[in-house]
Parts: sequence; structure tokens; C-alpha cells
Amino acid sequence: MSNFWGLIRNENMKIYRKPGTFVMMGILVALVLITAFLFKNIVDETVTGNWKQKLQTENVQLQKEIKKEAKSNPGIVKYNTEKIEINKYRIKHNYQPIRSVADYLQKSTSMVSIIVILTLIVAGGSVAGEFSAGTIKMLLIRPSSRTMILLSKFIAVILFAIVLLLLNFVASFIIGGLVYGFEGASQPILEYVNGHVETMNVFGEIWKQYGYGCIELIIMATFAFMLSVMFRNSSLAIAASIILSMSGSIIMSFISKYSWSKYVLFANTDLTMYTAGRTPLVKGMTLNFSIAVLLVYFIVFTVLTVVVFKKRDVAA
Amino acid sequence: MENNVLVSLKDVKKSVGSKEIIKGLSFDIHGGEVFGFLGPNGAGKTTTIRMMVGLMSLSSGEITIKGKNIKTQYKEAIANVGAIVENPEMYKFLTGYQNLLHFSRMVKGVSKQRIKEVVALVGLTDRIHEKVKRYSLGMRQRLGIAQALLHSPSVLILDEPTNGLDPAGIREIREYLRDLARKEGIAVIVSSHLLSEMELMCDRIAIIQKGELIGLQATREFVQGAGTKKVRFVVDQPQAAEKAARHHLKEGEIGTGDDYIEMIVEREDIPEITATLVVEGVRIYSIVAETQTLEEKFLEVTGGESVV
Ligand SMILES: Nc1ncnc2c1ncn2[C@@H]1O[C@H](COP(=O)(O)OP(=O)(O)OP(=O)(O)O)[C@@H](O)[C@H]1O
Ligand SMILES: [Mg+2]
Repeated sequence: MSNFWGLIRNENMKIYRKPGTFVMMGILVALVLITAFLFKNIVDETVTGNWKQKLQTENVQLQKEIKKEAKSNPGIVKYNTEKIEINKYRIKHNYQPIRSVADYLQKSTSMVSIIVILTLIVAGGSVAGEFSAGTIKMLLIRPSSRTMILLSKFIAVILFAIVLLLLNFVASFIIGGLVYGFEGASQPILEYVNGHVETMNVFGEIWKQYGYGCIELIIMATFAFMLSVMFRNSSLAIAASIILSMSGSIIMSFISKYSWSKYVLFANTDLTMYTAGRTPLVKGMTLNFSIAVLLVYFIVFTVLTVVVFKKRDVAA
Repeated sequence: MENNVLVSLKDVKKSVGSKEIIKGLSFDIHGGEVFGFLGPNGAGKTTTIRMMVGLMSLSSGEITIKGKNIKTQYKEAIANVGAIVENPEMYKFLTGYQNLLHFSRMVKGVSKQRIKEVVALVGLTDRIHEKVKRYSLGMRQRLGIAQALLHSPSVLILDEPTNGLDPAGIREIREYLRDLARKEGIAVIVSSHLLSEMELMCDRIAIIQKGELIGLQATREFVQGAGTKKVRFVVDQPQAAEKAARHHLKEGEIGTGDDYIEMIVEREDIPEITATLVVEGVRIYSIVAETQTLEEKFLEVTGGESVV
């Protein structure tokens, strides 16, 4: 077992000694910084002064819009109704609308899609990169089984993804706090669900989203490992896995009208579709269904990867 | 020595697709010897080495290392092996030291002290903390040899180990490998294109061509050969000498020069020809039996084909 610990240390060393790894982390932090400012300029919902009065005025305005647009634009009706209910709730329970670091933390969970791409790059480099560089034969002529070598790589890549998630959280917290202030961060978020307003703990929601992000990262890393072992060429494996994962949502938008499309991998990777205020991609999908589908893909990918990696002659 | 077989190949075959690239190799390699693997480009040397270290599967046959089957007891077998297969590719973005640290973590019982020792041995002490991407070809080769020696293996397999080394480096490595075999009793297997190198380094040489073993002999026998050789007699009267030698030579040419005659004869015939010449009154100043170099022998055995 001490041997296996050594394998993981080796893989970590190879990930963090590559200059590119820190460039990736820098890119992530830069993106957090940029979006923090962009987001502030686009929508600022903070209402100060006599905010209850202001919300009431807004509600009257929204009510008028509903009457005017009732026939022509059902979307506006739905949106405004939700807004009115939430405003009423705020006035009743004394929740002043304050934009705080909590809102930004919630927004920045969408950075998971960037983290997926960075993880795909590292995963492709970790497995296919050894073939491209020819180091794979140096790695395999040691008293460790090929399965253990692959497993140590997988663990190191998942650890890297977790490091990125943590980095994203910490950077968002610090930068978001500086841009929006920490005041009001403990206020619950208000969501309009099934005809009534619900309060939710902000950090509970954020952790849930990060948890979903972890699941997505694990399945995507498995996918990248499979492509790496099949192609044995890092640029090809990285390009293929990124293109497939990015075009996943586009492909889904074309095929989501068919009910079989819910079995497609990319219909299930983004679990945040099950959070409040969003709808699943295909009708009838549930969180448990998606997790079951992902589990099946995970097992199939893993078995294929291990079998191919163990069997193949290494001629690199 | 016979009972000290460290590596054994039994009718090893390898097919890729419908093409058979190794057509049944069988030989044993003993502890304490430097074993040379000689063959023209594409003969199958690297392929055989890949099978010995488990990078490629065998289509049929069996390879054992210290009695452990490379297929069924891979970990036990490979724990005894240090190897370079083709070029010693290392992680370019790591330093030489980090590369060695990396490989030391994959085997049991390599201390920091041992790493230092090996680094000194291959003469990289001054440059070991530099990134490998800044190494020259010869320095990479030295680092490759260092990683193969790290865990003090009892079988050392080196595919073209002198590739890229300067003459001093070649000599150092050659002497070190010979020492390892003599003193530590390990089996050293090398393949090389430098035939003269093999002659100096190896105890036994296997020649393979088109995936077949076509010769396996001790280097000494190989070079001197029990067979025929070209002999030159430096004499005072070449014409008389030629006439006398004719009696012994049923066929073949006798070359003559101003002060010598030359002929291809069996080793055993040399004393008799000399006696005849003396009896005929020819004065002999010197007799030179040209030993064939391994290179000539190699070209002769492989029919001079350079690439299969
Ligand atoms: N992966 C492969 N697939 C198909 N054929 C291969 C493969 N690897 C090697 N060969 C073929 O096997 C033969 C032996 O190749 P090998 O690399 O073992 O030769 P070698 O003796 O090491 O040659 P060199 O002296 O050039 O290094 C060659 O004809 C080569 O084309
Ligand atoms: Mg070769």
C-alpha cells in the first residue's frame, strides 16, 4: 500500500510541476475576477433607503404589465408574478434586497463548466500524455500493475479537480466579498417554487451545487481517461473530450424532444438542472434517474478503459 | 555458470496482425555475463526486449526472469529488472533528480543515498537538478542508465545504451557494465548497432535477423572462429612458395605479391603449409592470420543485408 501512496505522489508531482497547471489556475482566478465586475454592472438588485416603499411601487408597476401583456406574452406574466410574490415576502419578513457575496458565490458555481474543461486537459495529459512523450514504457516496467497506475492517475486528477473547485470557492468568496461586501450574506435566498415563496440557506445551496459539480467532474474525467487510453495521443484525446463535452448541450437541444434522449450521457451530466427554479432537460427526468444513468456510464467507461489499458501492447 | 540462469526465453513468438515479427527465439542468459543482442535494423531486437519487460504480450512461448514467468508473475519478475527500451524518455518538465525520485517511489527500498550514488556513477552530479529538457542526448542516456540501476536489479536490459554517448562515456559505461556482471553477478543484456562495441563489451553474442536467431556464440569464438581464415606468409620467393602451397590447397585462390603469398585456409592447415614451405627452402619472415572482425563476421552471417 505504501507503494500505491508513492504512485499518487508521483502523479501529483507530475501535475503540479507542469507550468501549465498554474496557468490554468491563474485563468480560473482571472475569470472569477472578470465575472465579478461584469455581474455587478449588469444587474444590481440592491435597494436602499425606504426599500419597502420602493418594492411596493415596483409591484404596482409589475401588476400593470401583467394586465397589458396577459394575452400576448405569457412569459412576462409568469416572471412578474414570481417577482411580485417574492417582493411581498420581503416586505412581510423584513428581508431587504441586498446584493452580497452570497449572490456572487451562487453565480460563480457556473464556473464548474470551465473547471470541467481544465480537468479534461489535465486528465488527457496524465494518461495520453505519457504515450505521446514515450514515458509510458518507463512507467509500466515497474512492479505496479497497470490497473493501479491508472487508478493513481485517476485519483490525482480528481484531487486536482477538487483543488480547482476549492480555488473557485475561495477566490469567489474573497473577490465577491470585496466587490459586493459581506453584509447580508447570511440572508436566505428566496425562490418561488410550486406557487409559493420558499427560503433557502445560501450556503446549503452553494454546497449542493459544488457537490453536483464534483459528480460531473468525476464522470467527465472518466470519459477523458477512456478517450486517452483509446487514442494514446494527448492532443487528440484532449481535443475530442473537450469538443464532445462542449457540444453536448448543443446536441441535447436538438434531440431533447425525443424521450430516449434522457439516456444520453450529456443529458445527465449537469445535475444543477434539479436545483430550484430550473427544469430538467427532458420531461420526466429526476435526480435519482440521472444518478443511476451516470453510474451506468461510469461503470461502462471504467471497465472499457481498464480492459483496453491492460491488454494493449505498448509500442510508444 | 550453467545453473545460474537469470533470463530464459523458450520458443518466443510474436505476431502483429498477420505478420510474424519474432519467429521462435530460445536462449538462456546467465548471471555474471554481458549478453549482446545483434541484428540489422528491424530484426526484432527491440520487440524482443519489449516482451522481456512486459510491454508487449507474447503470441506464444514463455519468458522467465529468475524463474518467474513474465506473464503470470509479472510483479515478481519485473522487480528484478532494470531497463531502457529504445530511447530513455524521461519527464522533460522535471529535473533529472525528480525523475529518479519518481521511479524510486515505484520500487522498494531505494534511499536518497542510493539515488545520490547512482547519479555520481553516471557522472551527472553537477547537472542533476536541471530540467531534463535542457539535457543533451548523452546526458539523457546517462539519466536513463541511472533509472535502470536505481533498485540494484539482477537483470539489466539496455536497448542501445551507448547511443549518443561520447567515446569517454562509452568506455565508462562499458567498463561499468562489465564490472557489474563480474562483481555483482548480474545479467546484462545489451543491444547495439556499434558492432565493435559489442566485441569489447559482450561475453556472448546472439545474432538475430528477421525475427530468427541465426547465431549464438561466445564473442571469442565468434571473432577468432574455428573455421577458415585468411593467412599471409611474407617470404623471399613468392613464386616458389605458391607452387609449394598448391599441393595443400585443392581449391581456392592463392594471391601473390612482391614479397608475400595469401590464401584462405583452415586453421588446422597452417602448420603443415608452413612446414612444406620450409622444406622447399622458402624463407618465411612472418605469418599473419587475419582475424575477422565481428563486423565482417556480422555482415557475412547476415548476408550483408542492412535492413530487413
Ligand atoms: N507495433 C508494431 N506493429 C507492427 N510491426 C511492428 C511493430 N513494432 C515493430 N514492428 C516490426 O517488427 C520488426 C522488428 O522491429 P524492432 O523494432 O524490434 O527492430 P530492431 O531490431 O529493434 O531494429 P532497430 O535496430 O532499428 O532498432 C520490424 O520489421 C518492425 O517493422
Ligand atoms: Mg531497436
